[in-house]
Amino acid sequence: MAEAGRPSAELRAAGLALAAGKAPFSETVQAGEIVGLSGLDGHGQERFLETLAGLHPPRSGEVVVSDGGAGARVEGFRQAVRHGIAYLPRDRRATGIFPALSILDNFAIATIGRDVRGGLISRRSRRERYQKFHRQLSIVAPNPRAPITALSGGNQQKVLLARWLAHDPRFLLLNDPTRGVDIATRQTLYGVFRELAREGVALVILSSEIEEIVTLCDRVLVFRENELFATLSGQALDSDRVIAAMFGKRQ
Amino acid sequence: MTAVTDSTARRPGIVWLMWRRTGFAPLLLLVLLVLNVVLNPVRFAPGNWGTLIGLAAPLIGAALASTPAILGGRGGIDVSVGPLMGFVNAIVVKVMITELGMSSPFVIVPAALLIGAAVGAVNGFLAAYVRIQPIVATLGTYLVLVGVTLTILPSPMGSVPAWLKLFSGSLSIVPLAAIFLIWWGIRRLPYYDHLMATGSDDRAAYTAGVDVPLVRFLSYVVTGVFAGIAGLMLTALIGSADGNIAPTYTLIAISAVALGGVSLAGGRGGLLGAAIGAICIFLIQSVLTLFNVSTFVLQIAYGAILVIAICLTAIQDRIEKRARQR
Repeated sequence: MAEAGRPSAELRAAGLALAAGKAPFSETVQAGEIVGLSGLDGHGQERFLETLAGLHPPRSGEVVVSDGGAGARVEGFRQAVRHGIAYLPRDRRATGIFPALSILDNFAIATIGRDVRGGLISRRSRRERYQKFHRQLSIVAPNPRAPITALSGGNQQKVLLARWLAHDPRFLLLNDPTRGVDIATRQTLYGVFRELAREGVALVILSSEIEEIVTLCDRVLVFRENELFATLSGQALDSDRVIAAMFGKRQ
Repeated sequence: MTAVTDSTARRPGIVWLMWRRTGFAPLLLLVLLVLNVVLNPVRFAPGNWGTLIGLAAPLIGAALASTPAILGGRGGIDVSVGPLMGFVNAIVVKVMITELGMSSPFVIVPAALLIGAAVGAVNGFLAAYVRIQPIVATLGTYLVLVGVTLTILPSPMGSVPAWLKLFSGSLSIVPLAAIFLIWWGIRRLPYYDHLMATGSDDRAAYTAGVDVPLVRFLSYVVTGVFAGIAGLMLTALIGSADGNIAPTYTLIAISAVALGGVSLAGGRGGLLGAAIGAICIFLIQSVLTLFNVSTFVLQIAYGAILVIAICLTAIQDRIEKRARQR
């Protein structure tokens, strides 16, 4: 994944306004950093994450993804993906899994090109690629050809994460990744996220669990009324302060 | 961590895969086949199978052609398949063979494929990029094609070269096999996975980085190419040009596709199911004709089949869901 050759990758939001008449802000996510997004539901944090992924055009300002050299403006989701951005959606059932397809096909759908040998799909290459993540994420699924709906919620989530990890992303945007996931699986996921950050991936995690982002993140952005209300890091980062900021109290 | 139960950990067997792809259709096929052979042993004697396949071939072709667009999901459907077959029939016999005197298979076959692909591309553009509802967009193409065909060909006429006539009997297997061969190739391309994912859930496909409009567009082009081949099969069978026969194939083909376990909502099923569905419809026709039922009643049968088929697909869904929850 990330070697020393590309430490300066960064995802930058410049003068971004999330809704009409709201104060613009700028924010940069560096390689190896875990940034948390928090706020009461619907206060702009999700919109911010989706804007970073190119799913929404920003109201004003721009999102720039750069790999050390000149940056490229993010203008759409597929283009964002080409620049190494991966986005794990929140609603697993509606916009994540394909219930009719197998675990293996669910895993491979975003990276089908890598299984092509001489123009045709190699089932074997797909199985081998999957095996790697099967171990890394300890996915509990004896048979990769079973339909994905045979798995528990946590394991479905791991398969979706594997889908994007297979893409070798430099920026991993996670929309409430541990929602409806059991404790043991959460611990596994936290381990994976930290490991990714060590390898130089930049992670942005939106979470409805305050404890989770406080323990996991280097920095937490708290949104309120479609504006960036507070940025907490280091000593200032604890649950009480995050909650206070969510409700609009200045420290 | 939640353990996965044994029933889901099992390797999916061939019966299960067949069931997933074709639903109730194989069972129905078996029943109908036995019924036909018992009721009408002369017509269904082994020596006549070639002729029977020839008679069924254009319907099977039309059903196969309808499938790719339907697999793309979100109302994907191509109702212009029938008229497109008629258009190919008219162009090939009236324009190419009769007026221009070109009868070489090396000209006619590529021309038919090209016409199919071009009409498919128009449908695909309207449905996937302009985003007109597919049934409306292809209904437009349907009407235009019917009109153009009847303008070129006000009354039935013409004859076809010997090589084409050859494919009217048991050799009509050849173009059908060609369609299956093309599909077999497509199934091995990344495109197939994208198509099934798009049909299964287009929003999830989009967030997985799939170029949803392009995938849908191409599904109409494939449908068009297959319809071109089906048009040639029809031409071989009737041995002339006739503008009035082909349009009727559209709706029967869609019934056949539904009967063959292809979900009209997209993302599930395949050509094998569509072919089995088409053969079932042909056999139902054959039984009803044996009882001297009028063609009007046949229409009633098609309608009933369509509704029943969709109900069966829903039942199949429910059974699968229950199997998953166990």
